[in-house]
Amino acid sequence: MKKTLSLVLTACLLTLLLAACSNNGGNQEPQKTGEDKGNASGAKVKLTAIITKHPLTKPLAEMEWLQKAEEAAGVDIEWQEITADWEQKKGTMLASGDTADLFVGPNVITDADFAQFQGLFQDLTELLPEAPNVQKMFDEKPETKIIATQPDGKIYGLPKYQRFWPASASRQYINQTWLDQLGLSMPTNWDELYDVLVAFKEKDANGNGDPNDEIPMDWPGGIGGFFNPAVLLGGLGITLTDGSGQGYFVEEGKVKNFLTDDRYKKMVVFLNKLYKAGLINPEVFTHDYTKFQSVARGEGDLAKVGFTWGWVASDRFGEQLAPQYTSMSPLKESAGYSGKVSWSYDFATLNYGVNQIVMSAKTKNKEAAMRFINELYKQEVSMQVLFGSLGTNIKDNGDGSYAVLPPADEKMDPGTWKWTSTWADNGPMYLPDSLDLALGKDMQEVLVQSEPLSDALAVDTASDVFPAMFIKYTTADNNTMSLNNTNVMNLANTNFAKWVTKGAVEAQWDEYVKQSKKAGLDQNIEIMQKYYDEYVSKK
Amino acid sequence: MGSRSIFSTFKRDYQLWVMVFPAIAVILIFNYIPMYGIQLAFRDFDFSKGLTGGEWRGLFYFKQFWESFLFTDLMRNTFMISFTSIIIGFPAPILLALVLNQIRRKKMKQLMQTTVYLPHFISIIVLVGMMNVLLSPETGIVGYFMKSVGFGNINLLASTSTFIPVNIISEIWQHCGWNSIIYLAALSTVDPQLYDSAKMDGASRWQTIRYIDFPALIPTIVILFILSMGNILSTGFEKIFLMQNSLNLPVSEVIATYVYKIGIVSNQFSYASAIGLFNTLINFIFLFAMNAISKKASNTSLF
Amino acid sequence: MIRERLNGSEILFRVVLSVLCAIIFLSIIYPLYFIVIASISDSTLVSTGKVLFMPKNISFFGYNQIFQDDRIWNGYRNTVFYTLAGTFVNLLITLPAAYVLSRREFRARRLIMVVFVITMFFNGGLIPTYLLMKDLHLTNTMWMFILPFCVNVFYLIIARTFFESSLPSELYEAAAIDGCSHFGFFVRIALPLSKALISVIGLYYLVGHWNDFFTGLIYIRDNKLQPLQIVLRDILLSNQVFQNGAGTGGAAGGYAQKYADQIKYGVIIVSTLPILVIYPFLQKYFEKGVLIGSVKG
Repeated sequence: MKKTLSLVLTACLLTLLLAACSNNGGNQEPQKTGEDKGNASGAKVKLTAIITKHPLTKPLAEMEWLQKAEEAAGVDIEWQEITADWEQKKGTMLASGDTADLFVGPNVITDADFAQFQGLFQDLTELLPEAPNVQKMFDEKPETKIIATQPDGKIYGLPKYQRFWPASASRQYINQTWLDQLGLSMPTNWDELYDVLVAFKEKDANGNGDPNDEIPMDWPGGIGGFFNPAVLLGGLGITLTDGSGQGYFVEEGKVKNFLTDDRYKKMVVFLNKLYKAGLINPEVFTHDYTKFQSVARGEGDLAKVGFTWGWVASDRFGEQLAPQYTSMSPLKESAGYSGKVSWSYDFATLNYGVNQIVMSAKTKNKEAAMRFINELYKQEVSMQVLFGSLGTNIKDNGDGSYAVLPPADEKMDPGTWKWTSTWADNGPMYLPDSLDLALGKDMQEVLVQSEPLSDALAVDTASDVFPAMFIKYTTADNNTMSLNNTNVMNLANTNFAKWVTKGAVEAQWDEYVKQSKKAGLDQNIEIMQKYYDEYVSKK
Repeated sequence: MGSRSIFSTFKRDYQLWVMVFPAIAVILIFNYIPMYGIQLAFRDFDFSKGLTGGEWRGLFYFKQFWESFLFTDLMRNTFMISFTSIIIGFPAPILLALVLNQIRRKKMKQLMQTTVYLPHFISIIVLVGMMNVLLSPETGIVGYFMKSVGFGNINLLASTSTFIPVNIISEIWQHCGWNSIIYLAALSTVDPQLYDSAKMDGASRWQTIRYIDFPALIPTIVILFILSMGNILSTGFEKIFLMQNSLNLPVSEVIATYVYKIGIVSNQFSYASAIGLFNTLINFIFLFAMNAISKKASNTSLF
Repeated sequence: MIRERLNGSEILFRVVLSVLCAIIFLSIIYPLYFIVIASISDSTLVSTGKVLFMPKNISFFGYNQIFQDDRIWNGYRNTVFYTLAGTFVNLLITLPAAYVLSRREFRARRLIMVVFVITMFFNGGLIPTYLLMKDLHLTNTMWMFILPFCVNVFYLIIARTFFESSLPSELYEAAAIDGCSHFGFFVRIALPLSKALISVIGLYYLVGHWNDFFTGLIYIRDNKLQPLQIVLRDILLSNQVFQNGAGTGGAAGGYAQKYADQIKYGVIIVSTLPILVIYPFLQKYFEKGVLIGSVKG
């Protein structure tokens, strides 16, 4: 017994020594090569940077365009690549003042962080003259400068503009094959939708002999946000903004929240009617995203879901089933409804992004760091930030026009390919409206399937869209609002799920509205209205 | 027990001091030095003035929590979840250890032991993912089973009444075997002669469990029970968070998940510290109370 | 072994025991078996409940994906080293301290216990701790995994309780008469009698190190130093973010999605298999009567 134990201990010690040695070696090596490089190329400036990238994204060292961009800017960047738990890492890192020279990622450092960690980040306004490409974006798209500017006039983080994305993230799909098979016409309002869904359920719409395996309607699980049923509110004239995940929207210049709006109550009653009739996936509030997606992918040629929302048909239903589905126009509340019909207007959130790149105030060579930033905002580089390197991912037609190439790996869909090859939407970039770039198959599909929504999306952006991205709150207001929203959403989620599955919204509504106010809903609306008015008056 | 007596025995006990010194050093350096950070619960966090330079707010952040909209719900839910896991979750590994200890065939025993401790290693993300698949009322094996037994089409993951049972059963499934290891080790120290003489006296196996095995476990049980009382308001975070959905939220929103939702949005360090400290104090009071009771009742205590 | 009489009570006992064991065994083994078949089946079929007893549409895509990643192997090497070195340091410091605190004649033990137990509840929070580690130059080094927090008070208490209840005080008195010091007694008598304890505590520490991902997450920046758990978490999460993929405007979807769950389940198997192998080696120390047997033998 004793022998085995002491053997184990010695083994432990030995590995400890060995690994300690090899570790030392490992640590010293990169430094040395770094120095060598520095000597060889002369004036290359060493920088450190942190990037929050998509987990699919390949190592940065393998991105050809990035190597070229660093080369052109005369910098050599040591990247720390983060794919998960950035929030947790960030708090500690910033609070202890232990930063890198550059931060890259979607809202990688938030406005609240800038306010909280005063002096930690570099005000870029003084460096702007050295960055003509960034200046060009501010000139051509003045709203990008508004996005970037803090209440005190400083600019800490630079935005992106990627131009090609549609005005809404959610598209509405119905199974056209089922409609045809059952001889039904396309529903145009909620009541017709109800009848169609009943037929889907009762008449074995997919024709496999089992009348019980159809799921007439499905969504990811919440109220608002992308792909959730709040878009139905468009049929009552409400224009959601960026999905309105927490219910806020603007109507004729007034900030409101649909969670306590009578039109929302109407929708809940309707959804409850559907649920009672067994037309909604009974697992709608519990399934995770993987399951939500796989159910809609059916089995081979056999579709399972009748009516749902998604980004694009081929992603939502898989390549095999996508042809069965049609993207449809928004539904009116009833045949007699004569008001306007709207949808979720998400243009800002899909095409702009805040704080995509940020510089630390401690950066030793700020000019060099700014040179690199400027390089990223150059049209040709920005394009490659989004879609991947020229040659492998983008074709240069030679006449000043470009085309996005299909994936080199045939099994891969274009979306996955893009996220694998480059920073994609996570990077800082400016794609000018004048850029002549032919998009890939996936984006074309999105745009085609967005067409039925175009009438509803012709909204009045001046008075019916909440400009969330263009508003900067003070830290105190920000804290108040996020506390209130946590409470409001707790209440809303609970009740929404309960009302849809069990009913009784009519009886509990007044009490619920009172509770929501107590939870801080009115206070938030007041704050947002104040900022909104200020924004409108400045415009 | 004055300090004088400690030092007067120092010379006699110097070897003991040498042996305990590294542990004391490690604890003092790594645990006690950073404790100045606790004052953050009473101060504003102001980056430009350093960690402890912010304005003194006293109990402001505690009050903010007590007066918070969800305070009573949070306390009730947190307490319910951890209470059930003490009442049901605590005895389970003891029973399991007693059962495993009765298996006579060596191969069989090894197989069982190895099996029961396996689930401990499954990450929570996957555990909850598996529960989603297996407990699904439409497609899961437990769903099929419930239907065939006549419970009907219950969605176990989506009901306020089944959340606590599902949570505790999955907790036992995952950690019971692992937690029984310590009891098995304690049972291994029982003198085999005791069993032999019990057999001579014609004691049945039930009786050996009752009169030999169980008493051997009591010191361990008492100590672990005191420690578990010190966790009365700790539910863990990740599993509950992942199991939450809008249908079970009325019973599944607990202090830990609430702090996460608040903290992650806007780095409210002070508020989060205050809630954490409040939580800790309650746990600590329970631990001390339990320790005192146990010291009186069974002469076993932590300190 | 003496052949036993089989009376009614004994038969009933055996029946109950066997049934109980069978139930426990099945309820634990089935979900584990499910992980294995899910790791090689089509994810869509898994999440729609088509895979319950047999794997379907078998493919090893998940494992391929996992093992193709070089970071995995680097992570494995780091984790094995951190685990062995860390556990060694843990035991080196915890066991003597536990022994000392179990001696009733040691007058300071109550005070020291209070000082230790307090740390189970109160801590200064992440930021002061991070600053301390930075000042000690431990951040972004392998020592971060080994030195700080190398005493787990919970395990210390378990060890102390064990020493208290299973080392009879007569044993030390007898040894002391023979001129044995505390050092000698601890090394030559206490430790050899506590193999069950050392394996339990050792195993607890070992698994703690193996599963530790927080240290890597907060304190380590260099990817070459990251442990296996961080790498696996990255791989795991790369499948979870699909739900945001579409929302952020890119539809990162279809192809990888289909295998998402395969990777998820494969990761479990890859990350836990090595540590599962250790248990049977330690198990023999739990056999009945190790303590007394060795006193006599």
